[in-house]
Amino acid sequence: MNNFYEKLADILEIENIKDEDILRDFEYWDSLTVLSILAMLDSEMSVIMSSDELDECITARDLFVKVESKNN
Amino acid sequence: MDFIYQNISVKGLLVVLPKNERDFMDDMKMFDFPESRSLKLKEVMGYDKHRVVEEQTCVSDLAIHGLKHLFNNGSLDKDGFDSLIVVTQSPDYLIPGTSNVIQGELELRQDIFCMDITQGCAGYIVGLMQAFMLIQQSNVNRVVLINGDVLSRKVSIHDRNSYPLIGDAVSITVIENNDTQKVFANIKMDGRDRGALEIPAGGFRMPSNAKTSILEDIGDGNKRSKDNLKMDGSAVFNFVQSKVPNMIDDLLNFSNTNLNEIDYFLFHQPNRFMLEKLADKMDIPYEKMPNNIVENFGNSSGVTIPVAIAYNLSNNLLQQKHKVCLAGFGVGLTWASMIINLGDFDFCEIIDY
Repeated sequence: MNNFYEKLADILEIENIKDEDILRDFEYWDSLTVLSILAMLDSEMSVIMSSDELDECITARDLFVKVESKNN
Repeated sequence: MDFIYQNISVKGLLVVLPKNERDFMDDMKMFDFPESRSLKLKEVMGYDKHRVVEEQTCVSDLAIHGLKHLFNNGSLDKDGFDSLIVVTQSPDYLIPGTSNVIQGELELRQDIFCMDITQGCAGYIVGLMQAFMLIQQSNVNRVVLINGDVLSRKVSIHDRNSYPLIGDAVSITVIENNDTQKVFANIKMDGRDRGALEIPAGGFRMPSNAKTSILEDIGDGNKRSKDNLKMDGSAVFNFVQSKVPNMIDDLLNFSNTNLNEIDYFLFHQPNRFMLEKLADKMDIPYEKMPNNIVENFGNSSGVTIPVAIAYNLSNNLLQQKHKVCLAGFGVGLTWASMIINLGDFDFCEIIDY
């Protein structure tokens, strides 16, 4: 999980990410961030996620759980 | 679906760009968006300069300008081609076809097959496929393929996901039947996801009226109407990453070609980011896959492929031949690719309108 949160924090240009953080509340949550996350999941974690699926995630933990479910 | 074409030769390529150039960072000042993020977009996506037409300019204006240029400098005989194909999503009129508008304006002969094709990001490849099918006919010796769009006129100036990156362009390609090479191509489509790239109003399903011109909030402070072009960037990104690498693999297998035999991968240019991700995924070195068209001219749909050829390889292609792989993906949804030897061109240049 730490590894995933680190990658996410890099994209969002912040220090660290907590489970309960609301994705949409991040200062840099915009279309570029969404694309960067989808690309990171694809190239670094071999997870194909659609933007609709990403939209369903409210918190950082929601996203982590969704990525894990696709990873297995 | 796989295709093979024989006795095909591409003889020349002319690109016509509107001279009106806009600057991405200037455009972004119209939006409530932090400058640091705009700079980031510029850096990652490669958005910078883009060429757009003046308000009234149509595809046929740029095409006629280009054809006259070729007639006048002796590169093309006005009566020397048997078919005129126009691939566009921004026709002058609903009726008649833009190919007939151009034929009439230039007073081309009547013994010519004019045809319009509605296609977008894969439009250049679809146009080439149609030209190659025609050229197999014994009475068709030369085909002029025009691929052009002026979609900046359909993009909402209040849509920061589309306006700062849209480009307008027209390309003119001359195809002849006097070579021995085989061309390989493949194409697939999925109309279920067609909504990712569309202009909802203006056809017969939803005619334009006062209501369709009302700007609607589409989130992130962006506004667009039903008359405007809609581009769902992240849906397109997913589609491209999942379909294109497999398509190219299939084409290489079908044509019995090794990836290393391809000198250049000339792909549709939505943005630099998407092309770099594709190159990474397919283990193609960046220098073999130019991604500099959006930053210089904007995204002109399917025309970005001929623009990429003319901008990056023009001197090269006048002197020698290269084995290249073309790929277009988008509107439809459609994804198509082609392996073809290009070169020994009679002309290959970019002019302004």
